Amino acid sequence: MSSEAIANSSARIIAPDRSQHAVRRFVSDSALLTARSLRSIPRVPERLLDVTIQPIIFILLFLYVFGSAIHVPGISYKNYLFPGILGQSLAFGVIGAGVATSNDMTEGVLDRFRSMPISRLSIITGQVMGQFCEALLGLTITVVVGLLLGWEPHLTLAHGIELAALMVLAVFAFTWTGVLFGMLVRSPDAMQGMGFIIILPLTFMAGTFVPIEGLDAVPKAIAHWDPISALVATVRKLTEGYPSHGSWQLDHPEIAMVLWCGLLLAICVPLALRRFNRTLAS
Amino acid sequence: MLSSDAANSNAGAAAIEAEGLTKHFGDFTAVDALDLNVETGTVVSLLGPNGAGKTTMVRMLATLLRPDGGVARIAGHDVVSEAEQVRRVISLTGQFAALDKNLTARENLTLMARLRGHARGAARSIAEELIARFDVEEFRDRLVKDLSGGQRRRVDLAAGLIDRPQLLVLDEPTTGLDPRSRQVVWSTIRELVAEGVTLLLTTQYLEEADALADKVVLIDHGREIAAGTPAQLKAQVGEQRVDVVAPDGAALTRLERVLEESFTTTVAREQRTISIAAPEEVANLAQVTEAIRASGIGVDEIALRRPTLDDAFLALTGHPAQNDDASKESHDEQ
Repeated sequence: MSSEAIANSSARIIAPDRSQHAVRRFVSDSALLTARSLRSIPRVPERLLDVTIQPIIFILLFLYVFGSAIHVPGISYKNYLFPGILGQSLAFGVIGAGVATSNDMTEGVLDRFRSMPISRLSIITGQVMGQFCEALLGLTITVVVGLLLGWEPHLTLAHGIELAALMVLAVFAFTWTGVLFGMLVRSPDAMQGMGFIIILPLTFMAGTFVPIEGLDAVPKAIAHWDPISALVATVRKLTEGYPSHGSWQLDHPEIAMVLWCGLLLAICVPLALRRFNRTLAS
Repeated sequence: MLSSDAANSNAGAAAIEAEGLTKHFGDFTAVDALDLNVETGTVVSLLGPNGAGKTTMVRMLATLLRPDGGVARIAGHDVVSEAEQVRRVISLTGQFAALDKNLTARENLTLMARLRGHARGAARSIAEELIARFDVEEFRDRLVKDLSGGQRRRVDLAAGLIDRPQLLVLDEPTTGLDPRSRQVVWSTIRELVAEGVTLLLTTQYLEEADALADKVVLIDHGREIAAGTPAQLKAQVGEQRVDVVAPDGAALTRLERVLEESFTTTVAREQRTISIAAPEEVANLAQVTEAIRASGIGVDEIALRRPTLDDAFLALTGHPAQNDDASKESHDEQ
C-alpha cells in the first residue's frame, strides 16, 4: 500500500451520475447481474449436477430398470418415457431456482447490491435470467442424452417451433415460481426439502413414467389436474402424436399449459417482486 | 480531499444527522429513539453488545431498512425520501462479507465497479488499483468462498471503496477475525481515516473503538447509554482494573468484606471474581495484593487488566452487558 497508490485513489472521481438513463441503466445492470449468476453455475458443482446428472439418472433408471416391467399400449416405452423426463426436468427447475434464490437471499452480497445506486428490479431480473439459462442448459442436456439413447421424436418443423416456444414459456414460469418459493422459505435446505415433498411426487403423478389411466383413484385425480401433466401431455402430443385423455387439460394440453404458465406468472411475479421489495424496506 | 464529491452533496451538511430513529420487529424494539450525529471527516463508533441494535441502526442509515420513527439524513439526504442519493454517497460493508462467494476477488471488485457505472476498462483498472492497495494480490484469482476470513474482509473493504464514499459504514469489521487479521484490518482503516474518510464503525470491542474512533456512542437495548471521546468514556469506566478470583464462595465473601473497606469493588459472583478500579494501575495492584496477604485469605488469581466492554456497562448502567440477545439480532436479517 504505497502512499502513491493512496493518492491516486483519492483523486478518483465518483461514479458517473446515472440517474438520467433509468431504462438503459436497468438493462445494463440486469445484464451484469445475469452474467454474475451464469458465471457461478460451473463453480457450484452440486447445482450443475442437479441439472445434468439427475435427469440422466432418471432416464437410465426408468429406461433400463423399471421400463422392463412397464408396457404402454400403442407406443414404445422409450418414446413414451422421454417426453415425461423432459416434463420432470422442467419441473425440477422450480427446485433449482428456489435453492439458488434462497442461497442468495441469505448472502451478504445482496445487501451490498441493495445499498448501491443500482436498479433494484435488476437484482431480481439477474437472478431470474441466470436461473432461466441454467434450466435451459439442463433441458438441452436431457434432450441430447435422450437422442443419444435412441429417442426418436417425430417432429414437424411447425411442431418443433411450437414445442420450443412452449418449453421456453414453461421454463420461465417455473423459474419465477422457484424464485418466489426461494424468497419465502427460510433456508436452501428447507427449499430442497419442500422440493422433495411437493415437487417430486407431483412429477410422478403426471403421466410421466406410467399412464394415468392405471393409477389409483387419488393419484389419478391429482394427475388429471397436475400442471406437470399438461406439460408432459403437450410434449408427448407434439413429439410423438400420442394423445392423453382423462380431463379437459389432458384433452387440450397446449392450451392448458399456456393457461398454467400464465397463471403461475400472474401469481408468482407480483408476489416475488412484492416480497423482494418488502425485504428491502421492512 | 472530498471536494470531488461536493457536487453530489448539500455543502456543509453533516455526514450523519439522525434524530429519534426507531425500529420495531414485532414486539421487540431494536432501536429506540436513537440520535446520532457524525461530522464530516470524523470517525464515530457505535459500541455495544450483540443485540444492542447496532446492525439495525446501520441498516436504516444505509437505506436497507425503513425506520418506524424518526428521521435521518446522510450528507443532507433523507434516507427514506432520497434513498437513491444516499446510496450514491454511502458505502456499507456489512457484518457478513458482502461479496459473491462464487466469484474471484478480482471479479467481485470489477463487478461492483461496473455496477457503480464505470465502463469495462475503467472498472478493470479500478479493481487492479484496489488489489494493489489492499494487498489482495496473492489471492486475487481465488474464489471468495475459498478465502480466509481475514482475506475476505480485505476484499470486502476494497469493494466498499470503489468510489470514494462520503460516508463509509463498517459493521463489525473485525468480529470473528484472528488477532493478526484484526491488526491488518485496523491498519487499513487507520490509513483511510488518515486520508480523511468519514467513518461510522460498529463494534463489540471497547479496544477497537478506542483504537480507531474520535467519538464513541455506547448503546444497549437500542438506546444511547453514554457518548464521548474514548478518553472520556474510559475515564467514566476507570482506566484499569484488578481482578481477584476467589477459590470458593466463602472466600469470595470474606475477600469482598476485606477489599470493600479500602477499594471500589464490583463482584461477579458466578465467576467468583471481585473487580477493583485501579486508576493508579500497578500501585493499586500492590495495595490489593498487600491487603489480601494481610487478611490471610487464599486466592486463585490476581491480575491487572484493561477495562472491557463489560466494565463500561457495569460502570455506566450498573448491569453487565448481556450477550443473550443473539436471537434478537437475527431479526435484523429478516
